[in-house]
This record gives sequence, C-alpha cells and structure tokens, in this order.
Amino acid sequence: MINVTHLSKHFKLYKKPSDRLKELLFRKPYHSSHRVLNDINFTVADGEALAILGRNGAGKSTLLKILTGVLLPDSGEVHLSGKLTGLLELGTGFDPNLTGMQNIRTNGLLVGMTPEEIEAKRETIIEFSELGHYIDEPIRTYSSGMVMRLAFSIAIHADPDIFLIDEALSVGDGHFQQKCMRKIRQFRANGGSIVFVSHDLNAVKMLCDRAIVLDKGNVIANDEPEAAVNIYNQLLGGDEEEGPTQPSLPQNGYGSFDVAFEEVTVSGQDSDHHVVSSGEMINLHMDISAREQVESLTVGMMIRDRFGQDLFGTNSYHLGHEVSVNKGETKRYTFVIPMHLAPGKYTVTVALHEGMDHTRHCYHWWDNAATFEVAGIRGALFGGVCNLSPTLEEASAESARPARSA
Amino acid sequence: MRTLFVILTFTRQDLIERYSGSILGGLWSLLMPLVNILIYTIVFSKIMGARLNLPGLEESPYSYSLYLVSAMLAWNCFAATVTRTTNLYHEKAGIITKVSVGLRALPMYILFSESIIYAISMAIFLVFMIAIGHPPGWAILTLPALFLLQQMVAYSLGLLCATFAVFIRDTRELISILFHVWFWFTPIIYVVEILPEGWGQLLAYNPALYFVDAYRQILLANEVPSLQFFAIATVVAFALGKLALFVNRRLQSDIRDFI
Repeated sequence: MINVTHLSKHFKLYKKPSDRLKELLFRKPYHSSHRVLNDINFTVADGEALAILGRNGAGKSTLLKILTGVLLPDSGEVHLSGKLTGLLELGTGFDPNLTGMQNIRTNGLLVGMTPEEIEAKRETIIEFSELGHYIDEPIRTYSSGMVMRLAFSIAIHADPDIFLIDEALSVGDGHFQQKCMRKIRQFRANGGSIVFVSHDLNAVKMLCDRAIVLDKGNVIANDEPEAAVNIYNQLLGGDEEEGPTQPSLPQNGYGSFDVAFEEVTVSGQDSDHHVVSSGEMINLHMDISAREQVESLTVGMMIRDRFGQDLFGTNSYHLGHEVSVNKGETKRYTFVIPMHLAPGKYTVTVALHEGMDHTRHCYHWWDNAATFEVAGIRGALFGGVCNLSPTLEEASAESARPARSA
Repeated sequence: MRTLFVILTFTRQDLIERYSGSILGGLWSLLMPLVNILIYTIVFSKIMGARLNLPGLEESPYSYSLYLVSAMLAWNCFAATVTRTTNLYHEKAGIITKVSVGLRALPMYILFSESIIYAISMAIFLVFMIAIGHPPGWAILTLPALFLLQQMVAYSLGLLCATFAVFIRDTRELISILFHVWFWFTPIIYVVEILPEGWGQLLAYNPALYFVDAYRQILLANEVPSLQFFAIATVVAFALGKLALFVNRRLQSDIRDFI
C-alpha cells in the first residue's frame, strides 16, 4: 500500500554547487527554482499496479526516486506499508570483477533482501537467470543480456510488498521477458503493489489497473489505463512527437492527382486517437478532393506492420461501392474497421485508382499516409498477429471419433 | 537492520572481495600492514641503527621502531578513514542515487574496514613486541577506548568533509594535502626534542599530538593516559560527532539532489 499526499519537489538550480553553501552562510538565495512535482496525490492499494505516464521531464523519475527514498521531497508525505524494492536501475552495485555468484549477495542486499533470504533463494535466482555455469565467472565476461538477466532475477526474487519499476521490463529476449511478466503477475496475485514507469503503452495496459499521467509536475489524469493512455497520447500529439498524420500535401505519394487525398487519419471510436485497443472499432477517414470529374473511382486502403508487410487491404471496388466525384468536389470516405490486430505499430497506405487495382490508372497512391498503434487487448488475450475470435467447444472423445472416421 | 547488512557487506568487499581473482585473495589485506611493520622495524633498527633514549628501552635496538610503529599504525588508520570518507559520496554515487541507503550510515563501512586493518596490524605488532622481549603491560586494556575516540573523531571529520566535498569538489584534494602537512606536523617519525626552539609550543595546538602521546604512553611506557585527556577527548569527539551529523542532516536533501 502506497499513500502519497501533497507531494511537492523543486530542484534549486545553482550556477555552481558551492553556491549552496554560500546561501547557507549569507542567508541569501543564490538559485533559481525549478518545480518538478506539484502537489501530487495518489494511492496504490495492495495487489494493485499503477502506471506513471508522462513525457520526458514530466517528473516521473523524480517521483519514483522520492518513493524509493533516494531523493527527499520538499513537502508532502509518502506512506509505505511494507518492504519496498525500487528498480531504478538493474544491477545496482554490481562489481564487474566479481563473479555472478558474489554479486548476488551485494545486489540482493541493496534491493532489500536479508542474508538469510539470499542464501535461501540463491539456487532459484541462478536457475531463473539461466546462466548455468557462467554464474561462477566474473560478470565482466558476461554479455549485457546476461548481466540484465542476472540483475532481474535477483530483483524479482527480492519479494517485497511494493515494487517500483523504471523502464526495466525490456530485459533479454522474448522468452525471458515472458518469464518476468509471469513472475510479476504472480507477485501481484499474492497482494504485491507495483508502480511502473514505462513508455511501452501496451505493457501499461496489460499490466496495470490504473495509470496516472504527469505533465510538468502535475497529475493531469488518474484513471483506467486505457483512458489515461489516451490522455497521454493527446499530450504527445500536442508535441507532434508521433503525430497521427503527415502534412497532407499532394506531393505525398504519386499518381496523376486528378483526384487526391487531402488528409488521412486513423482514430479509435472510443479512444478518439491513433492509439487504440485491440477489439476497438477504428475509423479510417480519408478526405479527398477532385480536380477533374471521375466517374468510376476506387478508394483503397492497406494496413502494414512495422516490417512493411501487408496485413490487410481492401477497396471500394471489392466492397461493391460505387464512387464518383465531380470536378472541384471534396468528399470524406471512412472505412470502419474492427481492429483485431495484435498490439504493435502499424501504418496505413491509401490509394485512389480506377478499377480493381491501381495498375490501370492511378490517381493517387500514398504510402504511410497515417500511422496508428494498437496497445492493450479488450476481452480475451491472444497471441500472434491478429485475433481470430475463436470459440472453444467440448465433447467427449467417443462422440468425436466417429465423426473423424466418417 | 538491512543497513547493517549492507555496511557489513561493503566492509567485506573492501577487505576481501576487492582482491577477488588474485591468488592470495583476502591475504593481501594482511600483507600490507605486515610489510609496513617489517620495514619500519627492520630498516630502522638494523639498517639505519636509529636509537632513542626511551624510558625502559634505553638499551634496545628496537626503541625507535617501537616509537614509530606505535604512532604510525594509529595515524594511518585515522588518515585513511578521513580521506576515504571524504571521497565516499562521489565514489558511491551510483549506489546512493539508485538505492535507498543512509548518508550517515554508509561511511561506517570505511570505519569498520580501516579499524579491522588496524586491529590486524596491531596484532602483528604485539607479536613483534613480545618477540623482542618488550611485551605490553596492563595499560593496553585502555587502548580500545583511545582507539574508539580516535575513530569517532575520524568518522565525524570524514563526514563533514564528505558533505562539503559534494558542494566544493576541491575539498577532496585539499584534504589529502592537509593530511600530508598534518602528518609532518605531528611527531610520528620524529621526536619533539629535535625541533628548533619555539616549535614545541606550536605543536601544542595540534590535537593529534595528544593522541599520539597517549598511544605511546600505553604501548611503550605501560601508563594509562590521564583522565583529563580522556575527558577532553570524549567531549571533543562527541561535540564533533554532533556537529557533523547536524550539518549532514541539514544538507541531506541537497546532497541527494547534487550527486
């Protein structure tokens, strides 16, 4: 259980560190103040996982450091019930010249284990890290992945009541990551609380019950992960860091531009943003304008994954939709798509052409006209690239067998 | 409780694991004091033939060695504790900024580690004293008290300097020079009598002199230092300790922000 009330912190900026001493001696301010956290309040219950979202410099790390006790707040209070392990960094105190085995001891203590606990869990830690006999080698001989695996194995076995994690989950290969995720879920099921700082929005949605969004030291949202992620994304959108659309100039793409796209956007019907959940309906809006009259026009789209692989595409021709535009006309076409793709980043390619494909006459073909991201899954979890929405039926083996032989 | 474990582990690391991978390992921690004592004793007694007219040791060829080592071991321990503590926040910044450790508890590991080295050196020195037929007397029972006071002062000075070193980087260089000067300003390898007229009085302002004298009283003359000395030393040690803890506590938030 974590209870944070009226927490504020500002950093004093001095021209040089010794000005701080001058200030004490002469009782005159020598600094300019920079507010990092402004009256922060939140609670994390036992067994709850809270994500902290925010742009760079929003105060996330400072907040985490105050929770850990590495920095002290100016005002406000932090109440923690139970043992806390802060993973601001993996492998704190690792000495490259010592063996993995020896480092388990120092690091274990630093993440809050007692010597007895370390002895008791040593075998489990080594096993979890999958380092095998390398555990008796100095860790300077390890690959960075091995160091991280060892560090995470120690941390995750610290068995605290509260875990603070700063971007630490992207450890090792997929196999090891999944092991870590399982372990973290298990930790929560046993009543542990988690505070989690990450830019991995999918992980936030998958792991957390709630998320707060920090902006310039203020909590601007404290909500369900999905809602908070949307607010966070609008925040990012304001910065054009990952804007949903490119500037809509006809130079984008190629073709005769007799009819051309003006603007292409993707937004979730619920999120109202280009970050959507798997299972949500999305709108792919295309605003087009015509320089000439075109009788039989085809409006098409294609979704590609981050490797540029075509995942799904269709057009008005296949859908049996007659499209024609008059000279000078502007129109909006919207593909409404149930987004059943797996979490990840995707691009949308759009096209205006004649007939069933663009080989006959192409008016405008625009690659990567829009991007969107799927983060989090609504309903049942799934693996792979898309959700085929299966059902599972059960029958006794006797009744199933004749059907197969028939 | 956890803090204690952390400190003990750092102590252990400092003494043993830093030699990990070497053939002799933790023995290196023993070897350095041993060689020191051998040099001081053999070189000065046998090779240079330095003699001192110390009470009870007029005839011994080892008189100067005893005079030197009895003060030198304590000084080495004191100086190492203070200078290493001064560098501590800088050195362990990687840990202080990532894990919750007490700023005032952390220097304890240096205190422990240096004290253990002193204890080892002292044990070797006692064996030597017995071997040359000049075993220490009962007064040695007061040595731990004297050493404790010395290390309290060392911790407090170190903590003060470490605090300042965060804000003024030059502190670290300044301290190593100061200790060099202080060493020569203290009669450790020389006797006060060889100093020119007037210097003796100046030396009276050096607090280290009283500690050095106390060590020699105990180890060489088998005398218990005066109660007055212990009283003043205790007051000074506690006052300095209080000051250092106060300053550090007052600035702890800033220290954490700065490193």
